[in-house]
Amino acid sequence: MKTPGFSSLIDSIPPSGIRRFFDLVLNSPDVISLGVGEPDFQTPWPIREEALYWLETQRVTYTSNRGLDSCRNSIANYMLDRFKAVYNPDTEILLTMGVSEAVDITLRTILNPGDEVILPEPTYVCYDPLIRLAGGKVVSVDTSSTSFIPEAKDIKKKITAKTKAIILCTPSNPTGMVIPQKQLEELVDLALKHNLWIISDEIYAELTYDTPFVSLGSIKRAKPITILMNGFSKAFAMTGWRLGFICAPEGLLSRALKIHQYSALCAPTLTQYAAIEALKQRKAVETMRKSYEQRRSYFVNNLNALGLPTLMPQGAFYCFPNVGALGFKSDDFAMQLLEKAKVAVVPGHVFGQGGEGFVRCCYATDFDLLKEAIKRIGLFLKS
Amino acid sequence: MKQIELDTLEILKSEARLSTKDIAERIGTSTNEVVSILKKLEKNKTILRYITVIDQTKLPKGKGSIRALIEVSIRPEKKRGFDGIARRLCQYPNVIDLYLISGNFDFLLIVEGNSLEEIAQFVSQKLASIENVRSTGTHFILKKYKENGIVINQEPQEKRLAVSL
Repeated sequence: MKTPGFSSLIDSIPPSGIRRFFDLVLNSPDVISLGVGEPDFQTPWPIREEALYWLETQRVTYTSNRGLDSCRNSIANYMLDRFKAVYNPDTEILLTMGVSEAVDITLRTILNPGDEVILPEPTYVCYDPLIRLAGGKVVSVDTSSTSFIPEAKDIKKKITAKTKAIILCTPSNPTGMVIPQKQLEELVDLALKHNLWIISDEIYAELTYDTPFVSLGSIKRAKPITILMNGFSKAFAMTGWRLGFICAPEGLLSRALKIHQYSALCAPTLTQYAAIEALKQRKAVETMRKSYEQRRSYFVNNLNALGLPTLMPQGAFYCFPNVGALGFKSDDFAMQLLEKAKVAVVPGHVFGQGGEGFVRCCYATDFDLLKEAIKRIGLFLKS
Repeated sequence: MKQIELDTLEILKSEARLSTKDIAERIGTSTNEVVSILKKLEKNKTILRYITVIDQTKLPKGKGSIRALIEVSIRPEKKRGFDGIARRLCQYPNVIDLYLISGNFDFLLIVEGNSLEEIAQFVSQKLASIENVRSTGTHFILKKYKENGIVINQEPQEKRLAVSL
């Protein structure tokens, strides 16, 4: 039957090309999946208990559109203590349904039709379609030749009169790379010079390994152009709870709030209460971080020992082996590894330019399974 | 104590059967280093023993053991206080744990036996008959929910999506 039709903008977004592969993984028994995008820990009990308390004893109502004062205050203190980033909880912090909503409403707040957004790739999959849906144009920068670290000199080449923003994801999903302070400062200077927003998705900020993380929020001169995003999904193992936040100048947030209040009303109330407790759980976060770090070193060292060149990731819980160096296309490697070795990884081209020839492996998986995966990958590479 | 030793202990606390090679891989060091860490920690009695936590309900009928918590009130001895009697109580194989506690009683014992009768016999014939034992209170354990940090009969947790971006 003929329907009344759909938005041509939404129809211009291609359907996810990876769906078929995902269905294949979901329907294959005995597969060790390194294709997961979330922690393998249960949310720490004190956080769950806090949510139970509010559920049992209080009316769970809407909160203010921005989010609970107490939760925003806790986040402001956390951002200061943990990342040396100063934000006013009353005017510069907005709670969202995960970082995904934060990205969406931010782009809709800053973009006019035809505005360009520079997107260093490979990167997380939500930015590209959300830029398009907000009427913007994606300008990709391939970072594969600079160890997946976006460099100011490469970004500079893509800046035009239409450029409005640069999106950074550090620590990176899918590469696990972290932008070092020097490169970050150079990106700041470039953006300041050309008057561009920097959207910094720092959802994995807690999960870094060899060197301390430098948040864009800690670079004072960048504050007028910084839109920082973080949330509770990864470090606090709260993926399904859906809570993220934006730290940004008042002018931006008051506008983003107009979208948020009409499309979301407020972030989930129970989660906001639980998040206040989550921010007190430093020890639990550190225990999980350490566990990821141990698995990272084991897994990446072993991939390299098998002859699969893999950069040692500095953060998040992903690594990005270079299967192209062994003559594989991403898709072929992922498909053959699934069929012959029953190990699932995500083909790198899904993450945009520069991702072809790589696959994303998530090492937030049981140690014994990682060991078995290494064994299977080793046998596969020999065959 | 070095950080690497603490890391080793942290792993062994929950996975005592892990090989030295596996431990080395996790903490990012050599197998030899782990072997020497374990030797040192065993020698200086930081690691006392590697034990197995068994779900007794899984054993065939009559083969499993039962446990009781026993509160004991003691008349302390001159000069030795509680230590002499404690040392003596440690000698009984039925006594699994022995603690000096604050509160209404002095000792808390965890006692293990093959049957109710065995534990009752231990209390009446061995424990209560000791001269300095003033009184005892026995609490049989009816069901174990958690032991040594392990939840017994834990419900399986919902699985993550096998793939997500």
